[in-house]
Amino acid sequence: MEHVIETKNLVKKFGDLTAVNNVSLSIKKGELFGLLGPNGSGKTTTVKLLTGQLKPAGGDARILGIDVFRNPIKVRDLVGIMPEQETPPSFLTAEEYLHFVCKIRKLKNAENRCDKWLKFLEFENQKDVLCKDLSRGTRQKLMFAQTFIHEPKVAFIDEPLINLDPIIQRKVKDYLKVYVRKGGTIFFCTHVLEIAEEICTRIGIIDRGKIIYEGTLKDIRRKKQHLEGLFLKLVREDRDA
Amino acid sequence: MPEILKSMIKEEWRLHSTMFGSLMFALFPVMIAIFSFAGSLFLPLFETIMPAGKIVLLVHYVFVLFGLSVGGLGLFSREVMNRRFGQASLLAYSSRNLPVSERKIFLNFFIKDVIYYFLFWIVPFMAGLAFAMPFIYIGFDYFLMLFLTLSLSFLIGLSAMFFLSTVFAHSSRFFVAALVLAALAGIPLAGYFSIDLLSYLPSFFLLVSRSWEQLAVSLLLIIIPSAISIIFLKADFPERKKVYRNSLVPLSGKLGFSSNPHFVSKDLLDLQRSEGGPGKIIFSFIFPVAFIWMILFVFLNLIPIANFLLIFSILMGMIASSVYDWLTEYDTFASYAFLPVRISELIRSKISGYAILNQVPLAILVLAAFWTGSLSYLFAGALVFLSVSSYSLSIKIYLTGLYPSILLYNAKIFLVYLLLGIPVMLALIFISIFNPLYLLASPVLIPVSLYVIKKSCMKWDGKEQLAF
Repeated sequence: MEHVIETKNLVKKFGDLTAVNNVSLSIKKGELFGLLGPNGSGKTTTVKLLTGQLKPAGGDARILGIDVFRNPIKVRDLVGIMPEQETPPSFLTAEEYLHFVCKIRKLKNAENRCDKWLKFLEFENQKDVLCKDLSRGTRQKLMFAQTFIHEPKVAFIDEPLINLDPIIQRKVKDYLKVYVRKGGTIFFCTHVLEIAEEICTRIGIIDRGKIIYEGTLKDIRRKKQHLEGLFLKLVREDRDA
Repeated sequence: MPEILKSMIKEEWRLHSTMFGSLMFALFPVMIAIFSFAGSLFLPLFETIMPAGKIVLLVHYVFVLFGLSVGGLGLFSREVMNRRFGQASLLAYSSRNLPVSERKIFLNFFIKDVIYYFLFWIVPFMAGLAFAMPFIYIGFDYFLMLFLTLSLSFLIGLSAMFFLSTVFAHSSRFFVAALVLAALAGIPLAGYFSIDLLSYLPSFFLLVSRSWEQLAVSLLLIIIPSAISIIFLKADFPERKKVYRNSLVPLSGKLGFSSNPHFVSKDLLDLQRSEGGPGKIIFSFIFPVAFIWMILFVFLNLIPIANFLLIFSILMGMIASSVYDWLTEYDTFASYAFLPVRISELIRSKISGYAILNQVPLAILVLAAFWTGSLSYLFAGALVFLSVSSYSLSIKIYLTGLYPSILLYNAKIFLVYLLLGIPVMLALIFISIFNPLYLLASPVLIPVSLYVIKKSCMKWDGKEQLAF
């Protein structure tokens, strides 16, 4: 099966700190890959590298066959990215922001696309409110909508559910499941293990910038292990090493 | 020192030093001192054009202007900082989650600003002058007096702007009406405008008269407007949601002639909807321009060979680049990093916005030409304005990219900015005095600007984005 996300020996340093240390990953089309790790383990930095938002100190990355570091704009044009922090422009309204993203992505039928997402994530009544005045949850809905508004083949989503209420969480989880079933690929960062356990098809665990585990949820269940137990054990072992 | 004030000063230091390193930030006042020292050495040369007393008066007004611009910046800086760092992270917002009143926070914020600008601008300026004293024959007692009166001038400007901003916060209509009335009243008064009248600036008059009365008047001019501002402080309520109908799409349609109409529209909406609304332009651009107009109007009488309109055009071209600061204030690249957007695309859209907003100074220039009866110089004035405006914008973009209001506080960057800008401006002023027609060649700066902008786009596209 075709690999849509591939990295080899990816390294990122911030001064003396090695935030991402020789990360190599291959993610196939139709996978919902969860990158799990404690706070500050390198999840967000990995996503920023994979989407060309940061330049690596070493290594390669290809998304949909495109070299990320040579063509970052092309990659960001094709994929959807939901950043960890919701940073829509302060003085646009929610609806204006979605139109703004449609303009940047040169999308047709902007009106329909915006309406669809406002309805689906149930924030139509907030569409005229300035982004800076939206609640964190609504801003997260907005960021989720902009990630998928162009129906990308690959999406990188960083802690997408953390501020959402249980009703919208359910909708988003179901949407993601259908999305991968239809052939989309998702690279999903989280430290909420229950969510990863529920929706991911495969996971990787990262700690101190290194991938310390990779495997499917089925493998974990087959070995009669629990994700939380495995996670805690591996992270502790890594830190003791 | 009260704990809040101490913490605010620490916060201010850390805010700036984390952006470009403690050393570069600490070197900023050293650079001001070097410039002041170098400028002071030229005083004997200036005295051949203008009497010493008038130069000192001019410097006092420059300090008033500086106070006005600092006050204007303080008025909006909280909103800008809020966007960059988030409300909870700034002490200026601590009245929302700690048992401290907004008024007390504002008072401390005001004092912190005074201390900060005093230490980073006024003291270094005076230190530069102090080092030059042996060469320009200024006595120590005169120096001390000057230190006091220039500080008072700065505070008079600062208090005046805080007062005006308080009026504006309560009623922008009243504020505009008051400005219009003042302008209408000023027209007949302008006929009587003279240096003698200007020299009644209490802080300057204190230097001349050395009287306790003038000291008292100066202090009252500082204390009364500041006190009124603090008493009538209007706190902003973050829980109030602002609601607007979709204006982005129709505005983008109207701006279809520009290369990135949606970005330009967004920038214009930012300016319109952020705190202070379009009033920010009044504070940060029209106010200093009006002030320079007044100063030039009066002082150029002493240099009859100088052409008011042309020198005004050159100075306004330099000040116009501050509009770019506003255009970049309200977004951070973090909002675009995950979208298929290049930095150069954003820079180009800001340039389009800048070009649109440059119609305001051009209109002012036309009015100035009518007012001063210098219509024959309007064409040359417009050319030199556009040339200086585009040149100063291009060097600002090259040096600071999307972060002019932050990176210009880096001593090295500020130094390069001044070295690239001031000689060109002075050369144009001298050329205008020598023969105004030579300014028709000033558009040579436009291809230079285009080249610098092209280089800037390549430079900033190649950089990993700064996290401000």
